[in-house]
Amino acid sequence: MRNPWAQTGNYRTSYQQDTSIFATHRELVSLLLFLGFLLVLPQFLSRTQVFILDLILVYSVAVLGLNITTGYAGLINIGQAAFMGVGAYTAALVAPQGIPFWLVVPLGGLVAAFFGYLVGIPSLRVKHLYLALATLAFQMVFEWAVGHMPLLKQGGAMDMPRASFLGYEAGFRNHFHFWYYVSLVTLVVLAFFFRNLLRTRYGRALVAVRDNDRAADAMGMDPGRTKLFAFALGAFYAGVAGVLYAYLSRAVVIEDYTFAVSIKLLAMAIVGGLGTLVGSFLGPAFLELLDVNMEALSNFIKALGFSVAGVDVASALRPLAFGLIIVLFLMFEPRGLYNWWRIVRSYFRTWPFKY
Amino acid sequence: MAQLLVENVTLSFGGVAALSAVSLVVAQGELVSVIGPNGAGKTSLLNCISGFYHPQRGRILFEGQEITRASPHEITQRGIARAFQNIELFSGLTVLENLMLARHTHLAYGLGAAGAFYGKALAKEVENRRVVEEVIDFMELEPYRKALVGNLPYGVRKRVEVARALSLSPKLLLLDEPMAGMTLEEKEDMVRFILEIRAQGTTVILIEHDLGVVMDISDRVYVLDFGQVIAEGAPEEVARNPRVQEAYLGVEV
Repeated sequence: MRNPWAQTGNYRTSYQQDTSIFATHRELVSLLLFLGFLLVLPQFLSRTQVFILDLILVYSVAVLGLNITTGYAGLINIGQAAFMGVGAYTAALVAPQGIPFWLVVPLGGLVAAFFGYLVGIPSLRVKHLYLALATLAFQMVFEWAVGHMPLLKQGGAMDMPRASFLGYEAGFRNHFHFWYYVSLVTLVVLAFFFRNLLRTRYGRALVAVRDNDRAADAMGMDPGRTKLFAFALGAFYAGVAGVLYAYLSRAVVIEDYTFAVSIKLLAMAIVGGLGTLVGSFLGPAFLELLDVNMEALSNFIKALGFSVAGVDVASALRPLAFGLIIVLFLMFEPRGLYNWWRIVRSYFRTWPFKY
Repeated sequence: MAQLLVENVTLSFGGVAALSAVSLVVAQGELVSVIGPNGAGKTSLLNCISGFYHPQRGRILFEGQEITRASPHEITQRGIARAFQNIELFSGLTVLENLMLARHTHLAYGLGAAGAFYGKALAKEVENRRVVEEVIDFMELEPYRKALVGNLPYGVRKRVEVARALSLSPKLLLLDEPMAGMTLEEKEDMVRFILEIRAQGTTVILIEHDLGVVMDISDRVYVLDFGQVIAEGAPEEVARNPRVQEAYLGVEV
């Protein structure tokens, strides 16, 4: 019997084995170790630091959804924040009625998926930039509609109740820790769901329609239904992220779901690597951590009282860094952080051998 | 009974008649070739059968059921597969992935099973891989299994195109110039594949410019010229037909 721990590369001998996600024992174990590390991590961090991790996890869920629609199915979506908003406002309406959060989370996703399906309908007729405009239209309609609905306080703050689970109440002190674990579990479940889809006909249909919808049609896939599925599934993920975000920030405000947020999500997807699963986590982590560090840096500069031609350099630093990073990635690494991850991974797959 | 029946199909683009009153009968298990000069309407006819074009007049029956207005994926689900003339593979995917996704219609499992990749989904995918491996074996594509299609040489890509259509386990296979631009050796291989496909009971409609190949392997030949069927019959009959000789060689002055 071969020692599975010393295995380098691929030793599969059956078709069933070849469906597995992990090439070697070591890959599976490293993932489990990493997840274990994520489980204990918040115990060593301050509340503010855990809050940043919360944001990364929640945005990862939304970016994962965006990657499904835009990355895998090739349908440009610049209204992902609006789908998040649909989930969040669903939560703001039903959560105060005493419905537990573990029902509100999928419910918000389903309502968003329904809207995703509706928005997907233009994708049957228009492509590329024209489709992007249709999603932009949805973003604008969403913002306008919320701003005019007394039911939704016209975009003003709607309070979210605190959540509890099996008698464990998320109070002031442990609020961020509580949502860290909920978001982590949600993200892992949703990521595995999508990773599994990728090795079935559903995932293959997405990629086929993206690459060549004429040939996909000839392979017996209905391109129209596949595109609607891509929109609905991507919006489901966004809706779930929206509910999590609403609980996390304890209020639903329209400012959290504007066009600027949609662009931010798209930037995260691009920096992480469009059309890659791991990129959906790397992108949000990178940009959120960048944002935090830039904020600290700008506070530091502000304290020095440094200014150029009367312009406050400190407050310009965050948007500048954000824009610069995106431009640099588009120029030098359009495949995103995922590509670096891929190189590292393929090195370790055959380690200690070179190839 | 005829497996495929094309009756008086007329297709025009604006004022240009691509096909005028074309009729075609193909029986189960036959190898029928469609030949004709460039622009005669051969590919248009194939596009009508596979649902990419819908003719203005006439009708198309497959196994007794009308498919004139059906969309390409509906026609594929009924068992008609097609290999494109200009290779329409998914060039960013591997050969294996290209063939696996072709069996879309044979994989009946729900979204839940797919998301968990358990039970029916797992069993069907293993079965999918087994069938695809048979096709790879048959088409002698073993060395390229995990290679990206975009990186493969032209002749191999053509073979993958046919293999992908074959992965659908079709009852009727439409081949649009599968040997165009191939070397002699590659052509001989492809002819061997086509004959074997047909020996296994699959009906084949072949569009081909190499008349030597067509005359050697076809059961019957249809000759199209300017959108009309000018001759039909066994290869020897067609070759003797004066109208065919005129269309190919021009009129003797």
